[in-house]
Amino acid sequence: MPDNVIQPPIPTTPVTSQVMDALRALVGERGLITGEQDKQTFVTDWRGSRIGTASVVVRPATVEETSKVVKLCYDHGIAIVPQAGNTGLMGGATPWPTHQGIVLSVGRMNKVLEVDSVGYSMTVEAGCILQTLQETAAAHDRFFPLSLGAQGSCMIGGNLSTNAGGVQVLRYGNARNLVLGLEVVLPNGDIWNGLRSLKKDNTGYDLKHLFMGAEGTLGIITKAVLKLWPAAKDVATAWMAIRDPQAAIEILSEAHSASEDNVESCELMCREVTEMVLRHIPGVQDPLKADTPWYLLMLWSSSRPRAEGAEGMAEKMEQFLAEQMEKGRVLDAVLAQSEAQTQNMWKIRESVAEAGRAEGAGLSYDISVSISKIPEFIDKGIKAALEILPSLRPHPLGHIGDGNVHFGFGAPTGMDKATLQQYAPAITRAVNDLITSMAGSISAEHGIGIEKLDELAHYRSRTELDTMRTIKRALDPKNIMNPGKVLRL
Amino acid sequence: MSAFVDKLRSIVGDKGLILDDQGKHPYLTDWRENYLGSALAIVRPATTEEVASVVKLCAAEKVAIVPQGGNTGMSGGGTPHEAGREIVLSLTRMSRILEVDTIGYSMTVEAGVVLKTIQEAAAEHDRLFPLSLGAEGSCTIGGNLSTNAGGVQVLHYGNTRNLVLGLEVVLPSGDIWDGLRALKKDNTGYDLRDLYLGAEGTLGIITRAVLKLWPKPKDHATSWSAIASPQAAVELLSGAYAASEDNVTSCELMGRQGIDLVLKHIPGTTDPLADKHDWYVLMEWSSTRPAREGANAGGLRDKMEAYLGEAMEKGLVLDAVIAQTEAQSKSLWALRENHSEASKKEGPSIKFDISVAVSKIPAFTTVGLAAMRKALPECRPLPFGHVGDGNLHFNCQAPAGWDKARFTPHIETISSAIYDLVVEYGGSISAEHGIGRIKVEELEHYRGKVELDTMRALKRALDPQNIMNPGKVIRV
Repeated sequence: MPDNVIQPPIPTTPVTSQVMDALRALVGERGLITGEQDKQTFVTDWRGSRIGTASVVVRPATVEETSKVVKLCYDHGIAIVPQAGNTGLMGGATPWPTHQGIVLSVGRMNKVLEVDSVGYSMTVEAGCILQTLQETAAAHDRFFPLSLGAQGSCMIGGNLSTNAGGVQVLRYGNARNLVLGLEVVLPNGDIWNGLRSLKKDNTGYDLKHLFMGAEGTLGIITKAVLKLWPAAKDVATAWMAIRDPQAAIEILSEAHSASEDNVESCELMCREVTEMVLRHIPGVQDPLKADTPWYLLMLWSSSRPRAEGAEGMAEKMEQFLAEQMEKGRVLDAVLAQSEAQTQNMWKIRESVAEAGRAEGAGLSYDISVSISKIPEFIDKGIKAALEILPSLRPHPLGHIGDGNVHFGFGAPTGMDKATLQQYAPAITRAVNDLITSMAGSISAEHGIGIEKLDELAHYRSRTELDTMRTIKRALDPKNIMNPGKVLRL
Repeated sequence: MSAFVDKLRSIVGDKGLILDDQGKHPYLTDWRENYLGSALAIVRPATTEEVASVVKLCAAEKVAIVPQGGNTGMSGGGTPHEAGREIVLSLTRMSRILEVDTIGYSMTVEAGVVLKTIQEAAAEHDRLFPLSLGAEGSCTIGGNLSTNAGGVQVLHYGNTRNLVLGLEVVLPSGDIWDGLRALKKDNTGYDLRDLYLGAEGTLGIITRAVLKLWPKPKDHATSWSAIASPQAAVELLSGAYAASEDNVTSCELMGRQGIDLVLKHIPGTTDPLADKHDWYVLMEWSSTRPAREGANAGGLRDKMEAYLGEAMEKGLVLDAVIAQTEAQSKSLWALRENHSEASKKEGPSIKFDISVAVSKIPAFTTVGLAAMRKALPECRPLPFGHVGDGNLHFNCQAPAGWDKARFTPHIETISSAIYDLVVEYGGSISAEHGIGRIKVEELEHYRGKVELDTMRALKRALDPQNIMNPGKVIRV
């Protein structure tokens, strides 16, 4: 990743021994991590490419403790880096190397407080692991749709702070669409109780949406009321070898009515990425062994159980795949016949980030365009990047129903990270110029963090940046809340 | 002041300026006629650039601006104060549909387009724009967005904020924010769009929007059911999701008092059922899949008939009729959509636009009606609303024959009784109508200090001169 992001000025008030004592009094010995070794995992990002520093990692057990810790930092002007599962891809939860303040981890606040199956909602603390929430919902015959590769370790507080995406946005929307209410500790330590479970509430400015996606720069999300859906009763998953990305769009377009509006996920993969996963992730099988360049993973899901004697999702999908083969869009396909086969297909998709990390140096762009422009973008984007470095290995994939492509590249065989970095700025500019010329977004779901600080500043208008800065200054006048992330002030 | 008016004229021309009292009047009073304000001028710019120039001029001269769309709001948010030192900035001349993208399911419009025009434009392209409410023939999309309007299809499609991809906004400085993006996913910094939606013109003026479109439904079924209680409505809806295969698009509860008023005041309306009942539910199912040819081929109307039949056997529904034609469906909807109009013709009323969790609607209705009658025994409760959203218009019509002067002294007692209950039930004091001017004090009373302070901090930061619709939503 680009290491050429120059650090913005951040408050560097140190944590004195007096403040440390006060912190200890607030959260107890269990809530403090002071050893250098123990702090490492909290000051290093998931990719291992950014290493910051912190005086201490503070792990409050309650919102009240969080509030008091923030108030203490506010009074002293000490900077705070809020952190949940630390699985972000943009460095938003990693302190800057000159950070003198604290990392505030919400990981100890991990209780599911209430599941309201009649009202289809669930009230949770910020440190709950995403997978735990999925399982809790399932135990109540309900469904919490947020689903992404890091679900076994990412936490809901981080998902909400980054407005995470994932594989089910197509049907349910981004993380911000899955939320009814929030509780947030503000930069001065005050607690905003917006834990409402109302479908309609037009009472003043929409604060909820402001805190979601702000990446901890405006406050710390401590609790949330999440929306639930009925649990799926009839599902079908297929892995297809397809003609090209244009075929993927056409297949999806016709799948909506063929499935009677039950398309849940639709993921485009390429051969190189599939092979990369097979290389690095133990136990994964190639579903097709077809040496074709493009694949599509599709899931249909209905909350209505298959009626006796009637066609279920699997029969409908089988018929659909046959039709799509006749039309020449699908070259070969396999319909999962067991839970194990389904899980294998999904494991390929969900292990891409993990495999990429194992593979070594690479570049990745999380972009979005309108859906119909995806094939054009992939085509032009690969050409533009290869013009700069012809031996790059393109690894495009993505959530095509959302217009969201993870436009990745592996370093040329044998090229190390440092050498690749020399080409990175030119490739980044070429890709982002293209995306901007196509009216797209330079960060569809991963956010800004540190990595895209300069890209955002380059591509967004002064008016927009000034408005964001005005909001940041108004709500965090001392700039102690995750300073130097998202925006340069 | 004439120098200021001359400067306005140089920006918008004579066509864009209304200065005479008679011409100004419709812009100075709200639809419910609760307020009669005063303004230096009504300014009607023709383009975003003209809006920006007018705002810049006002910022320089420290003249406050009241942005106004179709002026059909229920909370006085679009009405100027009485002092006459503000201008009204009406968006109604900016009424073009700029683009319809049928493949991308989106439409780009100017703020002054009438909602119904947008619905029709979508329909012409075999698409649906789902926002639908009583005032749709005269309200404009800019006002709908600024108030995050609700309406009868929120159940299926969400509030207005869920129907928007991008916005263009003229800020209090006169700068133009171009956020007209048509992306489904865009995680680049703070969500400004959702801040302007629902801010009721206090943070800026929405001038354009990219709206989402949906496939146009090809199969509909509309029914009118008499039921014994709101509890029956909640149960009827709960079973309808599965029976319709997730195709419930509206579910509206009404009481007999409301129907009587509509039948009395709105010409051409008729009672669909022979006998009178205490409560009614209007339900609409719609699907994008056309009904297949032939009898009992599984169309929505057949499914609805089967479902209501079962509900009658269980005693959930007392009597029911399913519309057989488009005209019948429209006449059923007319009974629902004319509630506000009929109430206005009947005389003064208090409007409570509240929401609670759906499962609490029956209990809230019972205690709410009792509280209202206790506060003023002769009053005529007029509850109706969107059951599936937990949103009730828990209105209170003045006793028969009472005029405004006689009714007004009771408003505070009745309001406090209802709002205290809403808070006790964990609900909202404004589900879809917003705060405007009418609920500023209620909001201050019922919301916590932290929330109010945060809103004030945003307002002060983004509108430091307090020229954008001052005194509405939140006082600084």
